[in-house]
Amino acid sequence: MVTRYLSPLCCLALLLSPIPSLAQDIDYGQQQEKTVDDPFDPFDIFGFDELATTDDRNKTAEELVREASLLLATERPLDARTKLLKAIQKDPNEYKAYYLLSGYYLVHVGHYRLALKYIRRAQELFEKENGTPPYASQLLQLEHGNLLYYLSQCRLNLDNYQGALDALDEYHRNGYRAEWYPGARSWVLMKLGRVQEAIKIARQGLLTGAESGRTLNMLGILLSMNDQPQEALEVFRQAIAYEFSQGSDGQPATPLNNAGEVYKEIFDDVKAESTFLRATSLPDGCEHVLPSLNLTLLYIEQLKTDAALSTMDAFQRCIAQFPLRNNEEHAALVNLARGRIDLHTGNVDRAIKRFETALQGTQWFGKIGTNQDDLVVAATISLAQALLRQNNLLSFHQANTWGEWLKQKETIASNSVRAWWLMRRARQMLIDDLHDIEDLTIRNTDSLLEYPTLGEVLAGLSGSALSRRIEAQRAKDSRAIAGIFYDAYLAESESSGLFSGSANEKFESVMQRGREGFDTLLKTHASLRRMLALSPNSESYRELAYRVFYTVAPELRNYGFKLPVELNLSGTDSRSMRSAIEAGPFREAAGKGNLCSIATADSTTPGKLALRFSCPGQSNKNRLVEGSTPGEVVNKLSDALFREEIRNVGPN
Amino acid sequence: MMRGWLSCPTIPWYQAVLGFRTLGVIVAISLLNTMEPLGTSPVLLSVAGMLGVIASSRLAQTRLTNLAFLVAFGAAAILLSLLFGTLNYTLSGITPEYFSLSQLYLHAQLCLIAMFLTAGATWVFWRVRGAVTFEAIVFAAIAIAIFAGHRDYHFDRPKIISSLAWSLGIPHLSMLIVVGSTVFVSLLCYLFFASQAVRPRADHTNVQVSRARRGLIFSSIVVLALVGIVYAIQAALYRHYNTAMLARVSNGVGMGENLGVSPLTFQSALGSTNQPAGLIRLEGDYSDNPFTPMLYLRESALSQFNGKEMVFAGRAFDTDLPVVSPQATFTGKEDTDLTPRTPLIQSIYTLADHDSAFAVDYPLSIVQLKNPNPSRFKSAYRAYSVAPAFPLSSLSKLEVGDPRWTEEIKSHYLQPHADKRYEELAEEITKGITHPVEKINALTNYLSRTSIYTLTPNHNVSPQEDAVVPFLFGDHRGYCVHFAHAMVYMLRALGIPARIGTGYLTDLSQAKDGHILLRMSDRHAWSEAYIQGTGWVPFDVQPDQVESHADTQVDTKLLEELMGSLEPGEEILPSETTKNEPGMEDPETSWIPNKQVIVWGFVSLGAFLILVKVTLRHGWRIAPTAAGKARWGYISVASLLHDRGILRAFGETRQNFANRSPDGVLIPLADVVNYATYAANPTLDKRQVIATILKAHAHLKRVPLWKRAITEINPSSIANALGGGTW
Repeated sequence: MVTRYLSPLCCLALLLSPIPSLAQDIDYGQQQEKTVDDPFDPFDIFGFDELATTDDRNKTAEELVREASLLLATERPLDARTKLLKAIQKDPNEYKAYYLLSGYYLVHVGHYRLALKYIRRAQELFEKENGTPPYASQLLQLEHGNLLYYLSQCRLNLDNYQGALDALDEYHRNGYRAEWYPGARSWVLMKLGRVQEAIKIARQGLLTGAESGRTLNMLGILLSMNDQPQEALEVFRQAIAYEFSQGSDGQPATPLNNAGEVYKEIFDDVKAESTFLRATSLPDGCEHVLPSLNLTLLYIEQLKTDAALSTMDAFQRCIAQFPLRNNEEHAALVNLARGRIDLHTGNVDRAIKRFETALQGTQWFGKIGTNQDDLVVAATISLAQALLRQNNLLSFHQANTWGEWLKQKETIASNSVRAWWLMRRARQMLIDDLHDIEDLTIRNTDSLLEYPTLGEVLAGLSGSALSRRIEAQRAKDSRAIAGIFYDAYLAESESSGLFSGSANEKFESVMQRGREGFDTLLKTHASLRRMLALSPNSESYRELAYRVFYTVAPELRNYGFKLPVELNLSGTDSRSMRSAIEAGPFREAAGKGNLCSIATADSTTPGKLALRFSCPGQSNKNRLVEGSTPGEVVNKLSDALFREEIRNVGPN
Repeated sequence: MMRGWLSCPTIPWYQAVLGFRTLGVIVAISLLNTMEPLGTSPVLLSVAGMLGVIASSRLAQTRLTNLAFLVAFGAAAILLSLLFGTLNYTLSGITPEYFSLSQLYLHAQLCLIAMFLTAGATWVFWRVRGAVTFEAIVFAAIAIAIFAGHRDYHFDRPKIISSLAWSLGIPHLSMLIVVGSTVFVSLLCYLFFASQAVRPRADHTNVQVSRARRGLIFSSIVVLALVGIVYAIQAALYRHYNTAMLARVSNGVGMGENLGVSPLTFQSALGSTNQPAGLIRLEGDYSDNPFTPMLYLRESALSQFNGKEMVFAGRAFDTDLPVVSPQATFTGKEDTDLTPRTPLIQSIYTLADHDSAFAVDYPLSIVQLKNPNPSRFKSAYRAYSVAPAFPLSSLSKLEVGDPRWTEEIKSHYLQPHADKRYEELAEEITKGITHPVEKINALTNYLSRTSIYTLTPNHNVSPQEDAVVPFLFGDHRGYCVHFAHAMVYMLRALGIPARIGTGYLTDLSQAKDGHILLRMSDRHAWSEAYIQGTGWVPFDVQPDQVESHADTQVDTKLLEELMGSLEPGEEILPSETTKNEPGMEDPETSWIPNKQVIVWGFVSLGAFLILVKVTLRHGWRIAPTAAGKARWGYISVASLLHDRGILRAFGETRQNFANRSPDGVLIPLADVVNYATYAANPTLDKRQVIATILKAHAHLKRVPLWKRAITEINPSSIANALGGGTW
C-alpha cells in the first residue's frame, strides 16, 4: 500500500526535470588490472570504467538522480539503486539521492533502519544547503515536506510512534498540506492509542480533500476499534466504492478485507465470508495473504476444512504468478493456517511440521496490524496442542515391534515435556508480550489465536486472575456471542482446578448457545471437554461421542476419546482382535441398535484379517479394512475413520 | 557461613568439583537459552542451579540417607509449588496487572525446576558410585545429539559452529572437530577432578584417601598428550574429508577444473547443507530472465566425454568460460552474433573456498573488489555478464549448433556415448518430432516426468562402469548429476551439441535488495544445448517426484547480517546522524568470541596461572609480619615439594608431613608455623624466618636443573591451590 503513495513522490521529483534517455551504449573495454577500492558502491564507475556506460560517466549527480526517479517509477528498483549510489559517489552532498534511497529501502526492501539513516542524512544535507525552515520557495517546501513524510514513515516502521508524530507535527507546524497527511497522522495517533483524536483527524481530512481511499480505510479501522462497527462498515462501503471507481488503479480488496474483518468481529459470519470471498476473487486479492488467511481461519472455526484448504490452495496458485515475490512474506502465516487444517483433519504429524516451520520462519508484517509476537504466540499454542494430540494418537496406535513401542513411548514422553514447555512459553508471551492478554477480545482482527480452543492455554493461568480478567473484558465487550467464548474459558479454567465448580454447566451452556454451523469448533471443543467429566459407560458420553464423531470424527481421536461400538467378532482371532480394538480408539458398549459396530469380515486376500465398520443410517462412515495382524487392522481402521485424507500441498 | 558451604577440608578437589559443576550449569543454561528462549533470566536460573549444586553437595556430606533426601526433596518441591500456587491464586486479585503474579509464578517455577534438577543430579554424583561415569556419558550423548546434524554437514544446527568458524576464519569441519575436541578434553578434565573427590560418607565411612594425586604429573602429561593426539587426528581427518567429501557436501557438484577430470560424483549427495557458499548482489534488475525466478550461475562446463563420464575440456573448446580463480581478473570477448542478451552486473562475495569464479551465464569481465569483511568473505569480485534476455518459446524454431564451428569443435560437442541404448531411448522419446529444440524439450519433459529426485540413489556401480545406466535404464532415482549426464548423452545421440554446466542454481525470489545468499545446497549441474544464434542454453530436468531433496530454508538473519557488511560506511552515512533515534540498535545476535578475544583469553589465563605460582613461591617476600612470612614460606617450600610429587596426604598433620619431607627440609618451617599458630604470644624474628626459608630453598636447589625445570612447569601446585587442597 505504501508504494502507491510513495511512487507519486518519485514521479514528482522526476517531473521537475527533463527525462533523460536511458539508452546505454555499452563499451566492453580491454582487461584492466585494477582493484575496485570501494566495496560499498558496486557501481564504482571510476574503478570499473571499462564497463560503465559512457552516459553515466559523464552525467552529473543530479542527472543520475533524475534517471533513478524514472527507474523507480517504472518498477526497476535495482537499476535505480545503482544510479543513486553512483550519484552519491559523484556528489556526496546530493541530498535527493539520499532521499530516494531512503524511499527505496522503505518501500521496496523494508530495511527501515537503513532507510532512516538515509533520510536523516538527506535531512541534514538539505538543511545544510537550504538553511532551516521556514522556506520561501514552494519547491523547497515540497521537498522538505516529503523528507518529513519519509522520516515519519521510517520511525513508524521502527515502532517509534512518538518520533513519527513529531515528524508529522513539524510538517504541520511549517504549514504544509498534502492529501496523505490526515491518513498518516491518524495511523500514528491510532498506534499511540489516541483513537478519538485519530478519528477526528481522519474525518477532518475527508472534509478537506485528503486522499480518499487511504483516509476512508483508516477511518473505518478507527471506528471499528472504537466499537462502532456499523459506522465502520458504512465507511468501508464508501472506500470500496471509491477504489472500484479508480478502475485498474484501484485496490478494492483492502477495504473489502477490512469490512470482512468487521463482519467477523460482529459475528456476522455469512457476510464476512461473502466479503472475504469477494476480496480474494479480485485482481489485487492475492497481493497480500490477509483476505485468504481471514477466510481460512473463519472456515476453520466453522470446521469447514475442505473450504479452508481450497482457499489456501487458491491463494498459493494466485501468488505463484508473481515469482519475484518473496515467499517469506506469507510463508509463516500460510503454514500456520495449513497446520490448523491438518490438525483438525487428524493429520497431526504434518501439522506439527507446519507449525514448526511457521515458528522458524520470519514473517514480514509491514504495516498490517498484527505482528511477529501474535504469530509466535499463535503458532506456539497450536504446536503445543498438536503435540498433545499426537500423544493421544500414539496411545491408540498399536506397535508391531518392540522397537516401535519404545519409540512411541519416547515420543510421548518428549511430546509431553515439549507441550508443557510450549504452553508455559505461550502463557508467558500472552502476559508479557501481549500485555495481560490484550487479544482476549474474541476475534480481535490483529490476533492469530484460535479462539475456540484458547481455553486450553488459559486454563494454566491462575483461575482467580483469569476470572478477573474476563470480567473486565465482559464489561467492555457487549457482544452476546463473545460471552459464550468467555464462558468456555472459565469452564476450562475451573475444570482444570482442584474444584471444578460449575464447569460442566458452563460447558453445556456453551454447547447449547453456540451457533449451529458457525461455532462448530467451539461447540466441539466444549463437548470434548465436557466428556472428560463423564463416565465412558454413561449415556451422555455415548451421545456426545457420536455427536462429535458425526460432526468431525478426527477430533474424537485427537482428544484421546474412545468411540463406543458394538462388537460382532468371530473366528479364531476374535479374542486378540477384541483386545486390539479395545486398545485402539474404540470401546465395546452394549448397543440398542443405534451404535456403530465393528464386525469380522471376509478378507479379499487369503491369510489376512478384515474388519467391517458400519453405522446405522450413516453409510458414508462404513469402512472395510484388512491387515496381517489384529493391531495392524485396528490401526488401519482408526486412520480410515479418524483421519481425513487431504492433499499434501503448500509451501516448503 | 558461605565459606563453610563452599569448602570441605575432608574432600580433595571439593572446590574444583563445585566449580566444574556450577560452570556446567551456567554453560548448559546459556546454551539452552541460545537455542530456545527460556523466558526467564538465564542469570536467575544459573543462580538457582548453583544454589542447587552447593546445597546438595553440602547435604551429601551429612548423615542424611538417600531416602530422607528423596522425601525432603519431594516435599520441598511440592510445598514450594503449593506455596507459589496458593500465592498466585489468592493474591492475584490485589495486583493492578491481572497476571503479574502468574508471571512471577512462571519464573519461580522454572527456577525451582533448575534448582531441583541440579540438586538431584549433584546428590546422585556424591552418593552413587559410577555416577561420574554416567554423567560423563550423558554429557557426551547430549553433545553428540546437539551436533548430530553435522554428520550430514548441517553446520548450522546449531549455528554456533558456523558462527565460530566464520568468526575465527577456519573451515567448518575443522571448527566442528575443535569443538568436539574441546568437549572431549573438558570431559576428561571433569572426570579427572571429579574422580579425585571422594564420595563422602557414601557408606557412612570415613573419607578415603585418594592416591591418584601422586600420579598428577603423569596425568597432566597424559591429558596434554591426548589433546595433541586429538589435534593431530582432527588435522588428518580434515585433510582427508575436506577433499574426499567436498563433492558430497555440495550436492554431488564438487569444484576443481582439471583437464580430463570431472568434479561431479554419482554415488551420493549427502549435502543438502545450509553451509553458506557466497553472497551475490545484483546491481541491476534482471527482468528479462527467461528462467524466472531461477538464476543459473555458471562456474564451469564439462564438454568432453572420456568414455565413462563427462569431464572438463578447458578453454580450448569452452571459450566462454572464465576459468579463473575468484581472486583473479578476467576479460572475455563478447560474441556479438548472439542475440538478444542483456548486460547484468553482479558483485560476488564468496563465503567458502572456490577454485573458480562463477557468474550468471557469459561473464565478459571479472574485476576484484576490495574485500569488505575479510573475516567473513574469502574473496570479492564483480562480474559483468551478458545474460539471456530471450523468451524460451522463441527458441522452438531455431536450429542447433554453430555454423562457425570447425569440424573438431563440432565433433567435440557431439561426441556420443558408446552405449547404443542412449540413442535408442532418445529416438523413442522424440519419435515423430522433427525440430531439434522440441526434441530437447521432449527429453527434458520425459526425465522430469519419470525421474525420482533423491540424494542417495545408492546404485551399485564400480568406478569403471557408467553410473548413468542404473539410473536411466534402472530405477530412475538420482540427482542433478545423473539427470545432466543422461540428457547430454541422449542429446548428443540425436546430433544436438550438448555439455554439462556446473555452478549454482538459485531462486531470485529469495533475494532481498538484490542480495542472494548461496548455500552449498544450491550447487547444481545441468545440461546445456547450443542453439544457433543464441549460444549455450540450460535445459534443466525438474523431476516431479522427490524422494529427498536438498532444499533448505534461507537463513534470512545471516543474509541481513552479510548485507549489513556491504552497507555504506561512516563517510557516507555518519552514525552521528541517527545517534538519538530509537530502534536503530542492531538486532540481537549471540556473542561469538573472535580470534583476538580467544588469544587474550588464553594469555590472561596463562598469566593468572603464572601469577598463582609466583604467589605460592614468592608470596613470603611481601608478607608484612614474621608470622605471615613463616606461613607463606612454608607454603612456598611445600608447593615446591608438591610439584616434585611429594604431597601432604589427607589427614596427615603438618608435622608428620614435614618429617616425611626429603632430608626433613620442611621441619624448621613447620615448627615455626606451628609455633606461630598455636603459641599463646608468639614472638618471631623476621630475619630468622627469612633465613630459615632461604635455607630450605637452597637445600632444594641441589637437585639437577632439568628436574627443577620440570618442577616449574608442573601445574600441580596451582591446581592444589585453586582446588582448596592442603599443604
